[in-house]
Amino acid sequence: MSRKLSVEETDGGDSKSMTISQLCTLLQKLVKVPQVTDVWVVGELSDFTLRGGHCYADLVEKDDDGKPVAKIPLRIWNYMFNAINAKFERGTGQPIATGLKVKVCVAPSIHKLYGLSVIANDIDPAYTMGDLLRRRKEIIDRLTREGIIDLNRQLAWPDVPVRLAVISSPFAAGYGDFLNQLYNNEAHIRFTVKLFEAMMQGERACPTIIAALDRIAAEADQWDGVVIIRGGGASLDLQCFENYDLAATVAQFPLPVMIGIGHERDITVLDYVANRRVKTPTAAAEWFIKRGESLLNRLNSIGSALLQRATDMMAAEKEQLSYFEGVISVFPINAVRHADQKLFNSAGLLSNITARRIIPAAEKINSIESQLAVAARGVIMANSDRLTSAERLLNALSPQSVLARGYSVTRAAGRIMTSAADVAPGTEITTQLASGEIVSIVK
Amino acid sequence: MEIANTPVNELSYREAVNELDAILREMQSDNCDIDKLSAMTRRATELIAECRNRLTATDEELRNILASLTPKAN
Repeated sequence: MSRKLSVEETDGGDSKSMTISQLCTLLQKLVKVPQVTDVWVVGELSDFTLRGGHCYADLVEKDDDGKPVAKIPLRIWNYMFNAINAKFERGTGQPIATGLKVKVCVAPSIHKLYGLSVIANDIDPAYTMGDLLRRRKEIIDRLTREGIIDLNRQLAWPDVPVRLAVISSPFAAGYGDFLNQLYNNEAHIRFTVKLFEAMMQGERACPTIIAALDRIAAEADQWDGVVIIRGGGASLDLQCFENYDLAATVAQFPLPVMIGIGHERDITVLDYVANRRVKTPTAAAEWFIKRGESLLNRLNSIGSALLQRATDMMAAEKEQLSYFEGVISVFPINAVRHADQKLFNSAGLLSNITARRIIPAAEKINSIESQLAVAARGVIMANSDRLTSAERLLNALSPQSVLARGYSVTRAAGRIMTSAADVAPGTEITTQLASGEIVSIVK
Repeated sequence: MEIANTPVNELSYREAVNELDAILREMQSDNCDIDKLSAMTRRATELIAECRNRLTATDEELRNILASLTPKAN
């Protein structure tokens, strides 16, 4: 106890005791030592509030099960807060909020009414960013492992997505923007929208959004898709959407889900599982309007193609008819002339064919004929010679020749007599000589 | 190709558009039957009108829907 405490003010007499204020003032000086001044400390923010521009929160250390094991109040005074918060937002895409793990540069302070706290004068957004990404990656890895991360993204929107189940807060500016955009579309596309109310920020966001999704699922056949929107002006706290249960519900939802909860740079795990992500509620409405418009355009182009085609066909038919009218008078004459010519050609062709076939045949016949004449003459001459010699032989052997040599032939009653006994006396016989006959009576 | 006579309001949007496509293809084919041209055109016109009617609403309808939807902040 060699060290002499210095107390600036005492309240009379009793030097053995000091007031709480004196004690606190003394402690305040004691903690202003280099070892604990401007040290970097990490912890999770809880009970974050802003009052009068000052930030009040608790910095909590938790064990692996998430149970708090150490806690210290954290203050950021308003003259520092805007700069620190801006730096944090630049680095992480969101403002300082409950639930975030932060790394802050602090110095301790002891206040006579509020006790020990740490006052932050700087922040390291990279630490928070790393933690957020790590947490998001854990959720994404789990969804991937479970094979559900792509389920909703693989769903196709119906041909005409005009019946939309919207999850939002009824008074959110984003919801109003969405409706205005949707119902003031120039193409007059008819949308049907029903609001399924949910909290769009804070701890209640996840369970109320999941409950709204359950209500939609119960009447899923009445809706073409789900649109989850918020935005415009509200706090950009997106931590409430970094939740496995919500992501898994969206991933496995039977209807395609569109997310429009933040702005361009705000990405949550929902953006990895939802069928579509848009930057703003207005952009969500525009997407549906564009789709409707492209359907209308398709109808229009089919319509004009039909009209064009029908007109073309009618024109072509009319042209053909007038052609027929023109040719109808000359057509028969031409046809007859044509047939006549054809006939003439056929005749010519026929005679050609005939000539080609007949002339060789005729020549063949002619040659056969002459050969035949020669052969016949030969045969005749040979036979004629033979006849002549036969005639000569015949002449030599004829009865006339025998008679000429002095023989005679006697006949009785026409029969040639060869024996004298064959005739009775008184019978008339005829004797033929070479020249003339003698008729006699047998004695 | 036979021209369908299902009432157009009994068709789904996709069925209606598919039928429109088929009519258009038929009309653009080389063997399109001129006798069916007017029937096909009439049917196609009905289909287009039905589809467009399903997609779009009148001004009055839109005002009514909008009025019923806009939350009354009170």
